Amino acid sequence: MEKIILEHFQNRKQAEETVPKNIPEVISNTVVDKFFLEVYSLTIFTARFFKEVVKPPYEFNELAKQSFLIGYKSLSLVAITSFIIGLVLTVQSRPTLAKFGAESLLPVMVAISIIREIGPVITALIFAGKVGSGIGAELASMNVTEQIDAMQVSHTNPFKYLVVTRVLSATLMLPILVAFSDAVGLFGSYVAVNLKGNVTSYLFFSQIFQSLEFKDLFPAFIKTFFFGFAIGLIGCYKGYNSNKGTEGVGKAANSAVVFASLMVFIIDMIAVQITSLMQN
Amino acid sequence: MTTETSTIENKDDNKQTNSVVVEMQHLKKSFGEKEVLLDINLVMNKGENLVILGKSGTGKSVLIKCIVGLMEIDDGKLLLFRQDISQLKAKELTELHRKIGFLFQSGALYDSMTVRENLEFPLKRQVTKVSKKEMDELVKEALENVGLSDTIDMTPSELSGGMRKRLGLARTLILKPEIMLYDEPSTGLDPITSKEISNLILEVQKKYHTSSIIITHDRECAKLTANRIIVIRDGVCAAEGSYAELEKSEDPWVRSFFE
Repeated sequence: MEKIILEHFQNRKQAEETVPKNIPEVISNTVVDKFFLEVYSLTIFTARFFKEVVKPPYEFNELAKQSFLIGYKSLSLVAITSFIIGLVLTVQSRPTLAKFGAESLLPVMVAISIIREIGPVITALIFAGKVGSGIGAELASMNVTEQIDAMQVSHTNPFKYLVVTRVLSATLMLPILVAFSDAVGLFGSYVAVNLKGNVTSYLFFSQIFQSLEFKDLFPAFIKTFFFGFAIGLIGCYKGYNSNKGTEGVGKAANSAVVFASLMVFIIDMIAVQITSLMQN
Repeated sequence: MTTETSTIENKDDNKQTNSVVVEMQHLKKSFGEKEVLLDINLVMNKGENLVILGKSGTGKSVLIKCIVGLMEIDDGKLLLFRQDISQLKAKELTELHRKIGFLFQSGALYDSMTVRENLEFPLKRQVTKVSKKEMDELVKEALENVGLSDTIDMTPSELSGGMRKRLGLARTLILKPEIMLYDEPSTGLDPITSKEISNLILEVQKKYHTSSIIITHDRECAKLTANRIIVIRDGVCAAEGSYAELEKSEDPWVRSFFE
């Protein structure tokens, strides 16, 4: 099938060279063709992931290493951004709530915003920028320098060793990072509340936990697994299938971030729809 | 096709045997509409160094990638250790590929690993498990063989081009392959380092009795290492013989490689 696609692209390239460029049908057809071919090969890549993930041998050491690199090394960035977002959100929301005399609802409103939406989405976007691009660039660079071929010659399945471990690590680490991000974001909110008032931490957090319900936490937690999976998978797909040459490395990193970020929003939109349908 | 008489030069008292380890019959390989290998017929005997010459883009690297299993042939027969690979099951083919080592043009060292980890990587992937003590000894021996003992805790980025090639060779040799495939081993190196690599290839042949295919553009490397040379032109084996024979070839195109 890969051969057919390659031939298709080559024929298309020849067609583009011979057909005048100002015919819109040709251009739109090309874009549409490329889009569907991209979707097709991403689907094949995803199917291969599910096939390889259950097949032994399992690369536990590499999985642990990648989880450390992907998770632990992202902590500081996630902490800083979450703290700032919690703080800014609280400072910005206070005047509006004060107008309606609802200032006491500030901790609850900020907590629900952070836990349900802002925490998962912002962390996922940061994760896409840092980890998605990193994976894309790393695998593309390994492709260029023949390291992936060398792995195969060393009787190692490079897909299992490189792709499966990274996708699993991203899937498992993002929910943990989001939980951490939520906690830091709420702490940022607590600091902001105390900038113009005097609220004890016990009062602040007990008010939050009393108002939070299972339906606030569970869907938000579940969707983070899908975010992590999409970011890891797209990063690996772009890197593993990059063109040879240094240009391919840059393109892989760039398109990994763009597509992964877009996927985060699409998954979020679907998750919100499903959640609201289930709650009605 | 002009095929010249093949006479194998014995070097370093390394006795050649006539047992064939690699054989290609009418091998074809194309990429889309571009036909790279049209009709390759060659034989490599046990213990010999076979050099393959040809212009860039004539499919020399493709040829050895087919041998090691990185690419699949489109048509023809490829026999490894007298076994037709198309008749083998995946597991049997993997076992055969385990006997083949490949030195990549760039060395293909794993950037995220230290020199020690690079050398341990293939050992950890073996079917038979190697103890930590044995692994340490094998790593030490492999580094001593290529004269890089003091680089064990360095990362590949700290090494020069020549050192990376030597380390790539050490990593390949650590599994003691019966066939070695060298993809342009001296490309990008200065003449002195290039000669060191060529000498290393000869040492490997002598010490481990390996059969090697060497893809190169480097005349000096070919002169120093080759028992036999094959020249590829337009996807077929255009000439075959020893360095001395091909140097005096009647075909000016073949001769141009040696001028």
